Amino acid sequence: MRFLKTSEAAALLNVSPNTLRAWERRFGYPKPQRSPGRHRLYTYGEIASLRDALHEGLSISSAVSRAREGLTADTHSLVGALTSFELERADVAMEAALALRSLERAVEEVLLPSMDEVAKRQGLDSAPWAFAAHWGVAWLRRAQRLAPPPTRPLSVVIGDATRDDLDPDAAQVRAFELFCVRAGARILSLSARGIQGMGEALAHRDPSIVVIAGNHLPDDDVARWAYNVRLAAGPLPIALFRRGHQPPRVRTTGAQVLPTGALAAQQRLLELVEEFRAAPAAYVDPRDTASDLLPRVARNGGQSSA
Amino acid sequence: MSEFPARAALRLVQPAPVELQPIARFCGHCGNPPTAAQPSTRVCDRCGLGLVLETVVEAAPSRGAPFLVLDTGLMICAMSAAAQRELAVDETEAVHRHVNELLVAADAEPGTRASLADVVVRAARGDGETTTIAVRPAHTFGVFFEARIAPCGPPRAALVVLH
Repeated sequence: MRFLKTSEAAALLNVSPNTLRAWERRFGYPKPQRSPGRHRLYTYGEIASLRDALHEGLSISSAVSRAREGLTADTHSLVGALTSFELERADVAMEAALALRSLERAVEEVLLPSMDEVAKRQGLDSAPWAFAAHWGVAWLRRAQRLAPPPTRPLSVVIGDATRDDLDPDAAQVRAFELFCVRAGARILSLSARGIQGMGEALAHRDPSIVVIAGNHLPDDDVARWAYNVRLAAGPLPIALFRRGHQPPRVRTTGAQVLPTGALAAQQRLLELVEEFRAAPAAYVDPRDTASDLLPRVARNGGQSSA
Repeated sequence: MSEFPARAALRLVQPAPVELQPIARFCGHCGNPPTAAQPSTRVCDRCGLGLVLETVVEAAPSRGAPFLVLDTGLMICAMSAAAQRELAVDETEAVHRHVNELLVAADAEPGTRASLADVVVRAARGDGETTTIAVRPAHTFGVFFEARIAPCGPPRAALVVLH
C-alpha cells in the first residue's frame, strides 16, 4: 500500500494542499488516514482514481462521485463472488480492494459490508452466508497470522462469546482482533465458555485489559468467565464489544462498552488502556464480584437493571 | 484504348471556411474565468471547488451567475454556487438527479415543455446553437427564469444559464 503526504497528493492532482483539505471538508473525499504524528496520509489508489475522474468530469462533485463508485465496485465484486461460491474470485476482489486502501479500510469498507450484504440478501441460514462467513473469518485469521510482531506493551485477552464462524458477530470480532494485532498489541483469544486452565494461559501474558466480544453467550456465563480472569490475572479493566444493547457506562468500575465498528473499537481500546494506566481505581474495584462485572441486561428488552 | 473516361469523375472540393467562434473559460462553481490564459489544471485556481469549462463567449455565464451543467441524459453534472442558492439545493445533493426535479419548462410558454429536453440534448451533443427558453423551479409557481442553453465542456455537456 502506497501512501502520499498532503503535499504529494496535492501535486498529483495539480491543486494546492488547501484545496485538498477543502474537498475533504465539503465532499468527504479523499478521506485520509492519520500518521502517528496526526498528519494526513492519502492512499495512492484513491488519489489516482480522483485524478482520472477529474480529467473526465464536469464538476468536483461528479468526479468525487465517480471515484467513489470505483471504490464501491470492489464491494459489488466481492458480494458477487461470495454469492457465486467462488473462493478465488473473492480473494481477487479483496486484493483489488487492498490496492486502493489500507488493510483496515479494506476490511471495514469492503469485506465486512460485503458479508453484511450477503447476510441481508440471503439470510443467516442460507448456503451463501455459510460460504461467506467461513471465507471472511478465514481471510481475517490469515491476515492476522501475517501481521507484524507486537510492538506495544499491551496484552489483550479476548473472551469470545460468539457462537461459531456463522455467528454474524464472528467476522467483526476477528476484524477487531486483527486491528489490535496490527496496532502492535499481543492478543490472547479464548472461548468465554471455558475456565479450565485459564491460569496457565494468562500466566505468561500479563494482560492489560479484558474484552468480552460477541453476543451469543448469556451475561451470567461471561461474567463468571471475566471474574475468573480477574482472579487469575489480578484487577483488570473489562470492555464489551458487540454485546448487543448496553448502556454506555453502567457504574464507575463496571465494564466499558466499545463502539460497534471494529476499527473504532480498537482505537477506543487503546485509549481505555491509557486511561486505566493513568487512574486504575476509576476502572477496577478489587471488591467486585462476578455479578458486578457486567451490567445485567434483559436479553429481550435490552433494558439495564443494574 | 483505355476503359477509363478521359475526365476524372471525382474532383477535389475546397472545404467551406469554418468560422471559429471565440471560446470563454469559466469555473463550474464560481463562474469566474481562470487567472491564467492557459490553465495548467482543470480545477479552478480561484475557488478550488469547480472545474474549468469552456463555451462560446456569447453563452458564457457572468461572474456569480446561476447556472447548471447537464449531460445528454438530462442529469445534473454541476451547479454554480449561485444556482445552489437560487434553487435551494446543494450541488452534492443535486448531482446525478434529473433536471426536471429542479427545473421545468414554464407552462406559460406554449410548447416549451418538450423543447427544454430537446434543446438540452442537442446542446449536450455539441450540435446546438445558443437558445433561450423560459423555465421555472419544479413545484414552484410564479417564479420564472430565462434559461440560455448552449454547448459546453469538456466533456460535452449543456450549459444552462439562468437569468
